[in-house]
Amino acid sequence: MKGARRGEADDAPRPRGRLRRWAHTLLSLTSLRLRLVTVFALVALVAAVSVSGIAYWLNRDAVLTRAQESALSDFSQSLGDRAGALPDQPTCDALRLMADRVANRTFHYEVVLEDARLPEGDCRAESDPAVFTREMVPDSLRDAVRDRREGQPEDDQYHLYWQRISLDGDPYLVGGAQVIGGGPAGYLLASLAPERDDLNSLAVSLGVATALAVIGSVLLAQGAATMVLRPVQRLSNAARRLGEGKLDTRLAVRGADELAELTRTFNNAAASLEAQVQDLSDRETSSRRFVADMSHELRTPMTAITAMTELLEDEVETLDPRVAPAVQLVVSETRRLNDLVENLMEVTRFDAGTAKMVLDDVNIADQVTACIDARAWLDAVHLDADRSITARLDPRRLDVVLANLIGNALKHGGSPVRVTVREHEDDEGGRLVSVEVADQGPGIPEDVLPHVFDRFYKASASRPRSDGSGLGLSIAMENAHLHGGDITVHNDPVGGAVFTLRLPHDPGLPEDRADDPDSGQETPPGGGASVPPGRPATPAPRRGERSDKGSGKETYDGSAEEDRR
Amino acid sequence: MSRVAFLLLIEDDEAVRTALEMSLTRQGHRVVTAPTGEDGLQSLREQRPDLIVLDVMLPGIDGFEVCRRIRRTDQLPIILLTARSDDIDVVVGLESGADDYVVKPVQGRVLDARIRAVMRRGERESNDAVTFGSLVIDRSAMTVTRDGVDLQLTPTELRLLLELSRRPGQALSRQQLLRLVWEHDYLGDSRLVDACVQRLRAKVEDVPSSPKLIRTVRGVGYRLDAP
Repeated sequence: MKGARRGEADDAPRPRGRLRRWAHTLLSLTSLRLRLVTVFALVALVAAVSVSGIAYWLNRDAVLTRAQESALSDFSQSLGDRAGALPDQPTCDALRLMADRVANRTFHYEVVLEDARLPEGDCRAESDPAVFTREMVPDSLRDAVRDRREGQPEDDQYHLYWQRISLDGDPYLVGGAQVIGGGPAGYLLASLAPERDDLNSLAVSLGVATALAVIGSVLLAQGAATMVLRPVQRLSNAARRLGEGKLDTRLAVRGADELAELTRTFNNAAASLEAQVQDLSDRETSSRRFVADMSHELRTPMTAITAMTELLEDEVETLDPRVAPAVQLVVSETRRLNDLVENLMEVTRFDAGTAKMVLDDVNIADQVTACIDARAWLDAVHLDADRSITARLDPRRLDVVLANLIGNALKHGGSPVRVTVREHEDDEGGRLVSVEVADQGPGIPEDVLPHVFDRFYKASASRPRSDGSGLGLSIAMENAHLHGGDITVHNDPVGGAVFTLRLPHDPGLPEDRADDPDSGQETPPGGGASVPPGRPATPAPRRGERSDKGSGKETYDGSAEEDRR
Repeated sequence: MSRVAFLLLIEDDEAVRTALEMSLTRQGHRVVTAPTGEDGLQSLREQRPDLIVLDVMLPGIDGFEVCRRIRRTDQLPIILLTARSDDIDVVVGLESGADDYVVKPVQGRVLDARIRAVMRRGERESNDAVTFGSLVIDRSAMTVTRDGVDLQLTPTELRLLLELSRRPGQALSRQQLLRLVWEHDYLGDSRLVDACVQRLRAKVEDVPSSPKLIRTVRGVGYRLDAP
């Protein structure tokens, strides 16, 4: 009930609210310039229309009054004069003569005289029956003329009544008076057409003036808007540049108005922003350099330790059984520390933006096979791939991604790991290569899913990080991003986590290395220009070249560690 | 292995030097060590090792410079040991004449595999000679002459030339060459090939900047042509 009532109450103001909202939207949608011009035009229109209107009405009044008064006073004068000359019992002919005399050619009015008390009865004398007859006099006017005579005490004055009428669309003045002392009633009809024409031309002039005023105000508003908006535009451009990261954007301060103040404020804000960003980036740079230096410095002692632990590992069977587990622990932890240092180096390269790509046309299926073969995972991985799918990418980086995804799946999900390679189109019609790595494990808890690519993210106890460095998936993601691709993760409803790597068929990046032209290869040794900026270029393992894999296997296993940089 | 390789290890860090010496000795190599570049150059003159494992970061003259000085007189294989996998270091190292490189922290087995691969490049094989223009490659004597003059090639350069000359006119990809010459795995560094081809051209071509013998095949790799 309550809800229903509230609904009804809401209904009532809705149309008005909608209208207001609509008007508001319209105003906010249109530009400041349009708003300014509209307001200017409206103000000018209102001012011009009211001035013109007032002028028109005043004028109209004055013109009509003057015309009426001339005609009426002439008529009353003339009527008085002629009435005095009439005999006591005039004939209808005398009245006709009088009407003809009274009718004035100067003021262009015709006259009708009416006297019901004549001996020969009701007489109507019309100066020009074609123009003005007694029937044309409105009854109300006649009544007024007659009533006046009856209701008022008689005096010298002729009581003149007038009325404006419209005949066939033309304005006329009809006036009437009773001659005092039982004389005839006289009526006049004067055309007001000349006055109407004058007033019409005045109205046209005023309309033109109003239009000119509105146009002028619009032009003025445009000019004003341009004047006001140019600095605003400048500020807007500068703000956009600032937003694009050009923090050294400043504006020249002109004048001393509010906009100049705004410009000054903008400059101050930009300067302070630049200083803060500089400060932050300095700190970040130094902390990154620290990590880079640190991981770099770790490598020399790690080399010594690694070489030594290898010796120890070889001797582990001959060692005292009480010491052997300790040695084995040292060996495995050393290996882990090695991985960590390697991954740290890789991460610092990503952070410093120095990670480079060396692109090559790579057969994805071959690459996946090589990756799992080199790590002795062939038995644990089920590969479902179209062997004809190729993509342009950095094979070394793809190997890192694949090794991390598959290794992660094996570690957490257990074998067999399903790897599916597919090719499809993305939303824009570009070709994508997707590699899906699905494990058989319990899946990843929903609250952990968004964090699996975080550095050093510790998952819950249900998915313990065993011997990984905690950087593997993060590095995989960075490598995918470098290719313009992405890695997503979700849990399969059937069970197990599914990581999907999507890479564009061609990242569209310029090739780092001067791949082939002889000139590119022939710069003198030691010359800075000859240094290819790319990482090691590794052409794809092509089909048919893989026959010697067995013989090289020992080297693969060993150098895979070294190559996983 | 046919014989024990005699290695010179130039490494300034004592712990690394000791550890690698022990590791390599254990792998069956004979190892002498030197802590600085100067000492290393002296040991090279006095002891004539088969191969040099050279650290890049050395006090005094650095590894690159040592490498350049060695190359002025000797063509023995050099493996660079670099703590910096930064691309520029690798490239500078290869251009200064190194045959291969490994990045620290290096595993003894990896280093051993690289050493053996480098050593194998000097092994003789077939017994015929082929001629490419003014270039004569004698496979039995493992010598290359140009206009009758003996060319001083490192084992790697020689092996690269032999592999190319075995398939004249046929383009070999960098990856194939990496496998054939360097015995690297499927993710080997193809810049090794580029740098070695560059050095080889400098020795065998009339005009190294416009090669007539070792041609670049765009999108594939390299090819040896009879001019």
